[in-house]
Amino acid sequence: MNEVLALVLAGGRVDELLCLTEKRAKSALPVFGIYRIIDFVLSNLMHAGINNVGVLSQYRPHSLVRHIGTGEHWDFIGRKRGIRILPPYRGLKGSDWYKGTADAVYQNISYIEEFNTDHILIASGDHIYRMDYKPFIKYHIEKRADATICFTKLKTKSTRFGYGIIDKIGRLTGYLEKPTSPLSDWVSMTLYIFKKKFLIDILKKNAGASSREFGRDIIPNIISDRKTFAFKFKKYWAYARTIDSYYNTNMDFLTRKINLSAWQIRTNLFERCVHGDRMSASINGAVSNSVISKGCIIEGKVKNSILSPGVKVGCGAEVVDSIIFHDTKIELNAKLNKVICDKDSRIGKNVVIGNPGEKNPSAEFSNLLSSGITVLGRKTTVPNNTVIGANTVIYPSARITNQEIKPGSTIR
Amino acid sequence: MNKNIIALLLAGGAGSRLNILARQRAKPAIPFGAIYRIIDFTMSNIANSNIDVVGVLTQYKPLSLMGHIDSGRPWDLCGRTRLVEILPPKTGEEISDWYKGTSDAVYQNLEFIEDFCPELVLVVSGDHIYNMNYNKLIAYHIKKKADATLCLIQVPIKDAHHFGIAEISEEGEIQKWTEKPKKPKSNLASMGIYIFSKESLIHVLNQVAKKGGVDFAKDVIPVMLNKNRVFGFNFSGYWRDVGTIDAYWNTNMDILKKESGLRIKDWQIKTNHFVKGKIGDDPSAYFSRSSKVSNSIIARGCIIEGHVQNSILSPGVKVHRNTAVSDSVVFHDTIIGSNVVINKCIIDKSVDIGNSVVIGVGKSIPNKIFPNHLSTGITLIGKKVSIASNINIGRNCIINPGVHLNKSKYESGTTY
Repeated sequence: MNEVLALVLAGGRVDELLCLTEKRAKSALPVFGIYRIIDFVLSNLMHAGINNVGVLSQYRPHSLVRHIGTGEHWDFIGRKRGIRILPPYRGLKGSDWYKGTADAVYQNISYIEEFNTDHILIASGDHIYRMDYKPFIKYHIEKRADATICFTKLKTKSTRFGYGIIDKIGRLTGYLEKPTSPLSDWVSMTLYIFKKKFLIDILKKNAGASSREFGRDIIPNIISDRKTFAFKFKKYWAYARTIDSYYNTNMDFLTRKINLSAWQIRTNLFERCVHGDRMSASINGAVSNSVISKGCIIEGKVKNSILSPGVKVGCGAEVVDSIIFHDTKIELNAKLNKVICDKDSRIGKNVVIGNPGEKNPSAEFSNLLSSGITVLGRKTTVPNNTVIGANTVIYPSARITNQEIKPGSTIR
Repeated sequence: MNKNIIALLLAGGAGSRLNILARQRAKPAIPFGAIYRIIDFTMSNIANSNIDVVGVLTQYKPLSLMGHIDSGRPWDLCGRTRLVEILPPKTGEEISDWYKGTSDAVYQNLEFIEDFCPELVLVVSGDHIYNMNYNKLIAYHIKKKADATLCLIQVPIKDAHHFGIAEISEEGEIQKWTEKPKKPKSNLASMGIYIFSKESLIHVLNQVAKKGGVDFAKDVIPVMLNKNRVFGFNFSGYWRDVGTIDAYWNTNMDILKKESGLRIKDWQIKTNHFVKGKIGDDPSAYFSRSSKVSNSIIARGCIIEGHVQNSILSPGVKVHRNTAVSDSVVFHDTIIGSNVVINKCIIDKSVDIGNSVVIGVGKSIPNKIFPNHLSTGITLIGKKVSIASNINIGRNCIINPGVHLNKSKYESGTTY
């Protein structure tokens, strides 16, 4: 695909994921054991034969930079192929942070102009789906559209999305970002393809505006030209905007709604293997309906859970309905229920975390954490015999001194 | 960093005693411990000893080995001053020949050695499972001002006749050397690890080659004993030659035994994760509600619905419902149907096993064609074999690569 340059929006910071995104961009969040969320869009781009990709990142890009590496894992390496991280920069006259998705692209117009392509595909780095972009690109070219926006139907109504009205021939006739009541069934996947010249013109026009987002500022203003089209995507599409949606998306893998082998998703296999490689999982316990990654050592019980590489579950320990990130050690007789536990944590002996029937939401984040999930930040050490109630958040490296932490607590 | 030493890794052996496992690949390229290949142990030892230049001498079916070693990057042997180079037999103006033996292979690559002007040359074999920091050996060699140093390990005296056996003085100098003695006088066996001072090596190789000698143990060491300082370095850790089916199976099973001394994780063994031809990466292993797994190693991409016990499963193996796999080693992408029983088998890559199949059950009659390869009850299933449903296969059987089985019964000891 020589005629398309891709840009991946991987910059945003999201407070709704609480401590999981305190030290990493959302698109770098681990998912399904060995992947990071951005792997999905990168694999989609790879399978579509896109040669060049720019990743717009601003918020804590370190883990993303390391994950993407040279780009070889997605074949974005070679004389004509490449992937570039595009951070904010200082120019002669001024410098600025990206003020929004459109501004991020605007500030990288010189990168876009390096490439002799007619179209720019812009995708969000934090969605989980497998899509063949080729029909989407073909549709855009055949319709001679200035812009084509991808829409999908959602089961649950939410005000977090942009909604579009699509006419019979596929033209986008109405669009509203985060409306109080949805305009239609069709929500924007923040997946766009623009004619390059059109995109540059419109970005320059909008450059002085106070708000610079594609959804809020660009899309509503271009539909009147009647050359903006909508493309409908009808397969699995998931997002991880909140703790609940992140958790449920992970669990969709256990109910086999997501088939990663068939989707042919690629990731960086070298990461966190500094000294030796990780062995395969060594299992001598009871594992049921779970995903166990390389280097895990399972001596206890694991049920309905997803374990990233290097997790240890000691004798008598039980991990149920949980998501455990890399290298976390769960010691003797500890019991975890509906826990998302970040990397390099240590859960001491006889610790009990979570309670599936918990009714009290988080005191501080009542709208974000009320479904009984407990979130432990990176490098949390839970001392032996501690009891932690559900809907609790423990921030990275927080010190736990109480033997009993009430449901709905926040510990920093 | 060790700029004054290079390593030569002998990876040419055909490994005929490993039967069909080595039919289509060199012995060092045989999968081991789910995700590794045998050569990873020596390659990792070299890398972990900070030796920067490695020549891999190949001859027999080198393709899978070359693909595995690739650019050398998995072992960090890739960069301006770090490299791994494959050294196959070659034709030239004067020499044009297959490698006739271990020392002949090195002799034919003297140019490679000269390119790097090292002071020392480490010669190692690529088909052993062990962990060793060669720097101790190097320090010993230098301290003793030796021309050659051999790594020695104590073996049970009853097994000593399989090895080159050394008798050493108190200082460690080798006084007597016999290759595969009928009546061994010592139990100090050579591990096939040699370190030479470059000048002595070049001198002796030229000399031996003139007389038609081709082997380190048979030809080179005896010549050096007369004229040079040859020392023995005692090694006492875990070390296994996996040259036979029994040794290969036992060594795999040692991974599952905590007290065996085989500690891959602590040894920091590195391997090449890239699988050529795969479009996506394998996701992590999935265990269904009906699965039951004990004391086993399960690699990425496996889907387990049945029971797995004391077994090692390479990436992409599927075990369907009500199936029991025990005491077995299963290579990549093999699919095992439902209601199957498998005991004490080594199953090669991409084998397709139907439903209600039984393998490795029955009397242990030695294999009729290869009684010295297979007599302890292990059944071997070759690469890309397909086995129809409702078939019984006994013990000590060999099913050749690529065949399709549809008879209802294959007695113990059969080769098909």
